Amino acid sequence: MAVSNTLNRTRSNGSRRTVDRGFQVVCLLVASLALVILVTLVTAILFRGGNWLSLGFLLNGHRENAPEQSGVGQAIIGSIVVCLLCGTAALPIGIGTAVFLEEYQPLSRAGRWLHGFIQLNVSNLAGVPSIVYGILGVTAFVYMFGLFGQIQANKPPPMEFGATYFYQTKTLGKKWVQFRATDPTQQVFEIVAPLQATNESRQAIELNVIDRSATPPSDPELRDRTVYSGATASILSTKRPWYFHLPFSKSVLSAGLTLALVILPIVIIASQEAIRAVPPSLREAAYGLGANKWQVVSTTVLPSALPGIMTGAILAMSRAIGEAAPLLAVMGGVISTTTSLGNLMDKSPVLPVTIYRWAQDENPAFENLAAAAIIVLLVFLLLMNSVAIFVRNRAERKHA
Amino acid sequence: MVLSTSPTVQRPQEFKSARPGRNQPQDSPTAIEIADLNAYYGDFQALHQVNIRIPQNHVTAFIGPSGCGKSTLLRWINRMNDIIPTARASGTIRLGDTNVLARTTDVVDLRRHIGIVFQKPNPFPKSIYDNVAFGPRLHFKTTSSQLDQLVEWSLRKAALWDEVKDRLHKSALGLSGGQQQRLCIARTIAVGPKILLMDEPCSALDPASTARVEDLIFELSEQYSIIIVTHNMQQAARCSDSTVFFYEGRVVECGPTIQVFTRPKQKQTEDYVTGKFG
Repeated sequence: MAVSNTLNRTRSNGSRRTVDRGFQVVCLLVASLALVILVTLVTAILFRGGNWLSLGFLLNGHRENAPEQSGVGQAIIGSIVVCLLCGTAALPIGIGTAVFLEEYQPLSRAGRWLHGFIQLNVSNLAGVPSIVYGILGVTAFVYMFGLFGQIQANKPPPMEFGATYFYQTKTLGKKWVQFRATDPTQQVFEIVAPLQATNESRQAIELNVIDRSATPPSDPELRDRTVYSGATASILSTKRPWYFHLPFSKSVLSAGLTLALVILPIVIIASQEAIRAVPPSLREAAYGLGANKWQVVSTTVLPSALPGIMTGAILAMSRAIGEAAPLLAVMGGVISTTTSLGNLMDKSPVLPVTIYRWAQDENPAFENLAAAAIIVLLVFLLLMNSVAIFVRNRAERKHA
Repeated sequence: MVLSTSPTVQRPQEFKSARPGRNQPQDSPTAIEIADLNAYYGDFQALHQVNIRIPQNHVTAFIGPSGCGKSTLLRWINRMNDIIPTARASGTIRLGDTNVLARTTDVVDLRRHIGIVFQKPNPFPKSIYDNVAFGPRLHFKTTSSQLDQLVEWSLRKAALWDEVKDRLHKSALGLSGGQQQRLCIARTIAVGPKILLMDEPCSALDPASTARVEDLIFELSEQYSIIIVTHNMQQAARCSDSTVFFYEGRVVECGPTIQVFTRPKQKQTEDYVTGKFG
């Protein structure tokens, strides 16, 4: 006779069934609660911001005190540029680190220690709050530890490429002339002697400098290139699309690189998972055919792991596009710029910072605009996540 | 050839090596000479003092119960064990003038000369063509017409060409298990090895595919020295010329297949080939 048959049945089948049912209901309620919160949130945002969505809203920039004419045009472009920069920086570093951690497991004691140390750091960095990366970004990218000197207002940065400086002044004939600046740190230039310049139709001319007491020439051609001695010319610059300076100062490049730091641990961990999922038999096959490590990684491991890596990277970038804190630290609360984004050293408004600024605005209409901007941001997130799911599903079908 | 007359349980009946005109392994030159080989995984010694000779252009079968070290030996012959961090070996494996186990041996070049086929068919998730072209692309600079010829030659050698010639650029994963394994053989011979190592190449295949691969192995031994690890006694008997029986990391018996299967010198071998243990 089994021991269980000697026990008294103190728990009835009925009470056990009640507990079972009860637990099921509790689980269902908890799950629905999450759904209810999400639905409420989305509905509230749609109600507040839905009316403000229009083509103009998607194309315009921010206008002070004019919510009807404000929009997220600049912010969308800024967000896309920052996000692309972030991906371009984070992907190669992230994949490279993951390949090192997974494929190049060193044998020596020191090598194993380094390997373990990097792995530990990656895991820890994944949990660091993004504002901390923001401060790191300010030190490392905006000021570059002061290695290249200080950035001063109204002065060109210490090291720069792709910019030309010139002075501009108006002649007696009311025509603008320009000439190259030899010392761009000087804001104004005093013309005392004749010099080479270009006129409005970009022709080379010789500036004619006359004394203030002298009578202006009557010949219109000469008047167009005549200035008084001591006339001042003010500095101007043209920047090429590849304009670049060190340190990066507050710019979209700094912002992209900082966000790259934020998502780097996520990219590394996702890539490691993807690389680990490549069957060892494929590696053996490649080694067996005489491939060296690089050939195994480049021809076998990475192609098989790429869909997984891409999925992880896109999800990481969709986190990056929603980050506000590090961008506030690195670019400041920029909400509009007078010129459109021309090079990587420009500042630009981005969606999360725009939302942050609008939500704080004294004019309550801007709060509705913030809701509309949130809808735009959510659409972006949804799009990116769909792409990630699409990539994963296609890879699964291919390997089935 | 007269087979043993002693009554046994499961004596294999077919010996391809007994076909008329087949020259015997002991008469042919040496492909690989293994001397005093000891192999370890960490502290565990997997092989003890292995001394065997692999004859050229014959099929040599490694048999023995699971964990007896036969796969370990196979994987040391082309240094596949380098991938395993804890694996070590001492002794010599001599291939011509080179000692395979020497530190200075170029492993990449070694594996070009000693190809390996694994237990489970493991084609790359690429097209059939790209699978066969994978090895040559690693090692040689070829024109596309040379590569086309090489792929066709390899697939013909592996008796697969007629089945796949119309779908060369389709995924290799669409092939059946037996076809995949023959593709893996084609892929291996495409880099021009002299020696083929096969680690239980038929264990994941159905009987019909197994028979095809066995025929292929025997045919390939005209040009390649083949070592096959197998758990299947019938298979070892059918398609090998000489047989090495391993037990607990030691070589118990080594000789022509017919002799090992019909007149084994050791009691343990007798018991194993007749199915009393293992």
